[in-house]
Amino acid sequence: MADTNTVVGESILIKGNLEGDEDLTVQGRIEGSIHLTKTLIVEQSGVVKAEVSVANAVISGIMVGNLTATDSVEIAETGRMVGDIQAPRVIITEGASFKGRVDMGDLALPRQAGAERPKAVFKPAVAPKPMARPAPAKPAPAPARPAPAPAKPVPAPAKPAEKAASKPEAPLAEALAGASKKKVVIKKKR
Amino acid sequence: MANVIGRSIVIDGEISGDEDLVIQGTVKGKIALKESLFVENSGVVEADIETQNVVISGAVTGNIRASERVEIKTDGRMVGDIKSPRILIADGAVFKGNVDMDR
Repeated sequence: MADTNTVVGESILIKGNLEGDEDLTVQGRIEGSIHLTKTLIVEQSGVVKAEVSVANAVISGIMVGNLTATDSVEIAETGRMVGDIQAPRVIITEGASFKGRVDMGDLALPRQAGAERPKAVFKPAVAPKPMARPAPAKPAPAPARPAPAPAKPVPAPAKPAEKAASKPEAPLAEALAGASKKKVVIKKKR
Repeated sequence: MANVIGRSIVIDGEISGDEDLVIQGTVKGKIALKESLFVENSGVVEADIETQNVVISGAVTGNIRASERVEIKTDGRMVGDIKSPRILIADGAVFKGNVDMDR
């Protein structure tokens, strides 16, 4: 599976929904939506106009639409993107052009995937369930990131304790949850 | 240039292009190419197809209009109508549908 990556060539146009569990290289054009559990690579000739949710994205071509990544988003030197990015790691290289919002999740806990925490915080009563979900999911991204991988399991068991403690202090928990709120706070400090 | 839709990929929509396309995954909708379409063993296509050549080793459901040639290989399974000047159906292939070889 890994040896045959999916390539959408220069003259190819795909309109519609695309889903998959492997890397996808786009040299042509895709319009619609893309859901991958692996990496999306938009090459220099590639144009993507879609709602995208992936593990990783590398944009060297043109990307228009909102992009959610569980791991990282990189806009390379030749990349041009318009849309919002939600990912724990966002890399914008010099020369790249980008217009949109960036949400890296909670700044205090930058290594946590942004999507997991809001779920857990919004439903504190169901805390054990969301915890159970991230647990089996984490081993998958772990090998992809050699450095942060060993750190991940540690904060995971620590989370329930923190959440239990913060339950009575609702405003605090909310403040912790809202990444955008946090950003505003930081700006004020500056 | 090799265009490959990999095994785990599912596309629901339209694909069009001017080059060869190899399908190992699943495509539903419509495919319009100026060159050849290869549906490999693992490939599943539920679509109307308009191309120059089609080579089927996987499963195709839908109608095919090929300007040159359609070939259903031994492992190929096809349900639908074929309109093409040249049609090859190999021993072992499964086909249900109409054939129109009018030029």
